[in-house]
Amino acid sequence: MSDTQSRDDASQNMDESVTEQTHFGFKQVDKSQKASLVANVFDSVAAKYDVMNDLMSFGVHRLWKRYTIDCAGVRAGHRVLDIAGGTGDLTAKFSRLVGPTGSVTLADINLSMLKVGRDKLRDQGLVSNIDYVQADAEALPFPDNSFDVVTMAFGLRNVTEKQNALNSIYRVLKPGGRLLVLEFSKPASEHLSKIYDMYSFHILPRMGQMVASDAESYRYLAESIRMHPDQETLKGMFEQAGFEQCDYSNLTGGIVALHRGYKF
Amino acid sequence: MPAASLFTATAETLLNRLIALDEDSAQRLVPLAGKRLSVFIEQLPVGITLVFSTRIDVLAEPHSFEDVCVHQDGESCFIKTSLDVLPSLTQTSQITRLIRADKLQLQGELSIAQQTAALFQQLDIDWEEQLARYTGDVPAHEAFASAQKFRQQFAAFGRRLQAGLGNALTEEKDIAVSKLAVMHFNDEVDALRDDVQRFEARLSLLEKNQ
Ligand SMILES: C[S@@+](CC[C@H](N)C(=O)[O-])C[C@H]1O[C@@H](n2cnc3c(N)ncnc32)[C@H](O)[C@@H]1O
Repeated sequence: MSDTQSRDDASQNMDESVTEQTHFGFKQVDKSQKASLVANVFDSVAAKYDVMNDLMSFGVHRLWKRYTIDCAGVRAGHRVLDIAGGTGDLTAKFSRLVGPTGSVTLADINLSMLKVGRDKLRDQGLVSNIDYVQADAEALPFPDNSFDVVTMAFGLRNVTEKQNALNSIYRVLKPGGRLLVLEFSKPASEHLSKIYDMYSFHILPRMGQMVASDAESYRYLAESIRMHPDQETLKGMFEQAGFEQCDYSNLTGGIVALHRGYKF
Repeated sequence: MPAASLFTATAETLLNRLIALDEDSAQRLVPLAGKRLSVFIEQLPVGITLVFSTRIDVLAEPHSFEDVCVHQDGESCFIKTSLDVLPSLTQTSQITRLIRADKLQLQGELSIAQQTAALFQQLDIDWEEQLARYTGDVPAHEAFASAQKFRQQFAAFGRRLQAGLGNALTEEKDIAVSKLAVMHFNDEVDALRDDVQRFEARLSLLEKNQ
């Protein structure tokens, strides 16, 4: 990436650029602190991450990810970037879909998550076409026009300057490539919203405490979901980054949404 | 969404478990590695794509048959048909007729469809051994002896029925079936029903004895 490009990315950010504060869950923190606070969360949950995912979502996160993979249109020979890929659920499937002529890059800012991911994928016999890269979504260390498909599952809400991340992804996508962002969103019905609030603020942290001895991280999870832009706002941010034909599908009543955009 | 995802997730688990039961499947998967078979069935809301590697990944197709067919890369095969036509696809002799009758659309590499059919047809699973893991050897053997007999009789019945129907169609005989034939058919159905009842009674007995 050129220096000018990264400065452009930074200057285009829309996320609270006037103040030096940002949110970390419901707390206000210094912008410079957020990345390391997020890093602590994922250092702390890495080992129990997969179990907790299944438990917290009753296994439904697998279906959300499956839908993302169906919509990704990944084919043999493609180059795929799974940013904030964590323990590599999407990467595992992509690795088989792109075959030996393609490649998948599993990128994450957090080394602990990457290590858990790498060990898991190696155990599944997936080695030859996967690269592991420690990278910040806001400043991706890849040349322009590198990837056919970029996916980001449950990662964007942790990023300090989300617009920077979208700009950076746009840059590394090849023309004709697409971005898919799977993220918690805003439930479509009030009723569902209430049940969901109760679940995430009262039950989730206790489950986190019981299984991973870590209520705090799971409280952060619930809070960070509420602070994340809703469906229409995120779609606007896609457009702001230059993506075209942007749309989204609500999954499980809008608890999660899959946003899509193309670079032409 | 989750309905289709749940369906493909279940199908994927089942298919991979099934092929894992026959050690030779791994070998039969080798020529299919990197290939795709997309199947669109009229009665299903989405098409399904099987992607082969050392295992089978099952994807739901968000696009239509016509859109998916654009990817003619020599590594893919696309089929569109309806549920009732599926069983006839195992008979290669039927395929041209079905295409002419607009009941089947086939695009891309036909050999992929054939190799996939072979993968499943050639599955040689020792069900008796699989069942014995749960029930012990003797009950498993008993159950399988009954099942085997039932299956043979069912297959014989099917063959006779097919032959009868085949003749009626190819020779364009009078479609009205003779009274004698109807009686004969009824007899066979009765015999088959008795077999099923016997088999069921046998199974319940085995279950009780466990
Ligand atoms: C909830 S996990 C999701 C992991 C995986 N994609 C999944 O769906 O299971 C969020 C991941 O985002 C990563 N992450 C947070 N901030 C990031 C950033 N700025 N750049 C890249 N990855 C980031 C975290 O380290 C963590 O692994």
